[in-house]
Amino acid sequence: MEVFWISLSAAIAIAIPALATGWAQSRIGPAAAASLAERPELSTTAIILLAIPETMAILGFVVAVLIVLQGAG
Amino acid sequence: MIIAMSRVRVLGPWDQLDRVLQEIQDIGLMHLVQPKSNDQLREVALTKRQMRERDWIMRLLEDLEVVASQLGSTFTTPRTPVARTTRSALAEWVRLAGRLRRRLEILAAGQRELEEERALIARYREFITAFESLIEAGQATELTRTYHVILRAGDDTTVTTLRRRMQELVGGDFELMTRRLPSGETAVLLLVSASAAPRVEGVLGKAGVRELPVPESYGAQTLAGALPEMRRRHEEIPQEIRAIEDERRSVLSSSRATLEQAWAAAHDRLLEFEALTQVGATSHAFVLEGWMPRNTVPQLRNRLTQAIGDDIVVEEAQLEEWEGDVVPVVLSNPRLFRPFETITKMMPLPRYGSIDPTPFVAVFFPMFFGLMLGDMAYGLVLGAAALLIRARSRAETLLRSVSEIAGACAAFTVIFGALYGELLGDLGRLWFGLHPLAFDREEAILPFLALAVALGVVHVFLGLVLGVISSFRHDPRHSMGQGLTAIMIALVLVALLAAVEVLPSAFFTPTVIALLVAFPILVVLEGLIAPVELLSTIGNMLSYARIMALGTASVMMAVVANQMVGALGSAVVGVLFALLFHLVNFVIGVFSPTVHALRLHYVEFFGKFYSPGGTQYRPFGHWRARHVT
Repeated sequence: MEVFWISLSAAIAIAIPALATGWAQSRIGPAAAASLAERPELSTTAIILLAIPETMAILGFVVAVLIVLQGAG
Repeated sequence: MIIAMSRVRVLGPWDQLDRVLQEIQDIGLMHLVQPKSNDQLREVALTKRQMRERDWIMRLLEDLEVVASQLGSTFTTPRTPVARTTRSALAEWVRLAGRLRRRLEILAAGQRELEEERALIARYREFITAFESLIEAGQATELTRTYHVILRAGDDTTVTTLRRRMQELVGGDFELMTRRLPSGETAVLLLVSASAAPRVEGVLGKAGVRELPVPESYGAQTLAGALPEMRRRHEEIPQEIRAIEDERRSVLSSSRATLEQAWAAAHDRLLEFEALTQVGATSHAFVLEGWMPRNTVPQLRNRLTQAIGDDIVVEEAQLEEWEGDVVPVVLSNPRLFRPFETITKMMPLPRYGSIDPTPFVAVFFPMFFGLMLGDMAYGLVLGAAALLIRARSRAETLLRSVSEIAGACAAFTVIFGALYGELLGDLGRLWFGLHPLAFDREEAILPFLALAVALGVVHVFLGLVLGVISSFRHDPRHSMGQGLTAIMIALVLVALLAAVEVLPSAFFTPTVIALLVAFPILVVLEGLIAPVELLSTIGNMLSYARIMALGTASVMMAVVANQMVGALGSAVVGVLFALLFHLVNFVIGVFSPTVHALRLHYVEFFGKFYSPGGTQYRPFGHWRARHVT
């Protein structure tokens, strides 16, 4: 039973930030594409803006790993 | 680093201006600016003769652009700067370019007509092939009239409608045949008596179908009559098109050198006119001002003295005179670091007097990349790709820089691959008995996380120190605030390490007291936003956990790829899938670490010290192809 809760917690820890990241990038992507059509020199800014929400997914992944490792230990 | 610049003033008698400008253009080091306003100085306007010459040049460039596009070529920079344009040479080039433009436009129009004729014949050929026997048998006589129609693909109802209307109009006194063409269209051949022809044309019009007329240019009343001429033209057209292409190639080979010279010389002259508008003048003298790298000023002085004499004065403005001016920025780094200027230049240029982050980027960017990808096989593939791109690129181009950055990233990827003991994931371990020299990324997730965050601490701390140095001269208060932030970050780390007993716990209390003392001082120096910035700086350090996250994801993908070999039944299918998966992992593994290493630099590192707002250094010199491409 404990394994179930550990797995579920780790899954939630990565799933929610990943969904949030996806949602944020779905808003940033079209806006960035529209900006680039008019001002191609903004490509660096566009890449950075797209990469910023990924922090959530990455930190979610780190937390999930920690949950699994703590559970295993 | 950002090299030291000097504001230089060149003064001389008015009649020497032309020669001085030529010398400065030849040296190509002075970024001209408008001289500081002065009651005695007036701006120089172009004379009528110069304006006429400029108009000629504009026309020449327009003609040359058309010529280049007609020839499907671009003009490159001649190896040596071209001599200054004389008016007679310019006039000759204008005539040549105009003549070539007109000739090439005639050739292009001729080729267009031939292509259209070929397309038309191709259309008739389809029709003729469909009804070959009928047409060649000469079905049309004086008593009958033939109509050739092509219907759009999928337009089947029109045939039925047409047949019904013809039935209503002429009863059974007509013949309507259809054939499906290879293009999906339907070819329709309609034969009616000559007396019914006017009414039939009305029916065709109402049905919305367009007749394929017998081409008048082939001088025949019937399609059968036009056939021999069409066949002859079908043989001739490719030869005529080849002849046009040969003439175009011959124009390119015979005139290319002259046209390139004209192209470069015309641009040179335009740059000279542009420079003239930056000159200040009195009734007898001129003043030219601009920016140059400090160490090149003696070179300019010597050159002008040798070429013109002592009448020309070159002086450097005192620092006080140009404080607050926008100084153009020139980045100059050792050869090894130079490709990484590309990454710095993707941001707005750093302000003059601030810090050029290129050397730090050159060390940390490939390191972060290698830490994330960390696989010997992937590194070798990336290295091979970098060598290939390098071999196919020209010096001082973006592609060459990218290849060199990729080379450095590949080297770090191989090094970290060896430290992790990875060759296509765990394949090196399984096949060749490789062992990690540092740690195994599959197992040691927490040490990898600690390493990533520790690197973040070092990187962000370095950024804070650079921020202190950068703002010390212009804004000492902010500099002190940044310094205190750095100290507090260090104190927080010591307190945390003491709390988890990595450091002796005796450190904890004094560190916390020091933090409590530093906090109000920080608020006084930086305002109420300071605590938020302090927390965001700690967040920046944690953001480096992405190095571990992406690295772990990369190795796990590689391991999954290897497991496909045994999991898919057939070994061949398994190997193919494994290779495909490794390819996907490699592509993701190159793209993702690049984006995240860039982000770590631009957001976490540059945010601590980078001061954008520098002006591009554009020295007045001879035209180079890259100026317009």
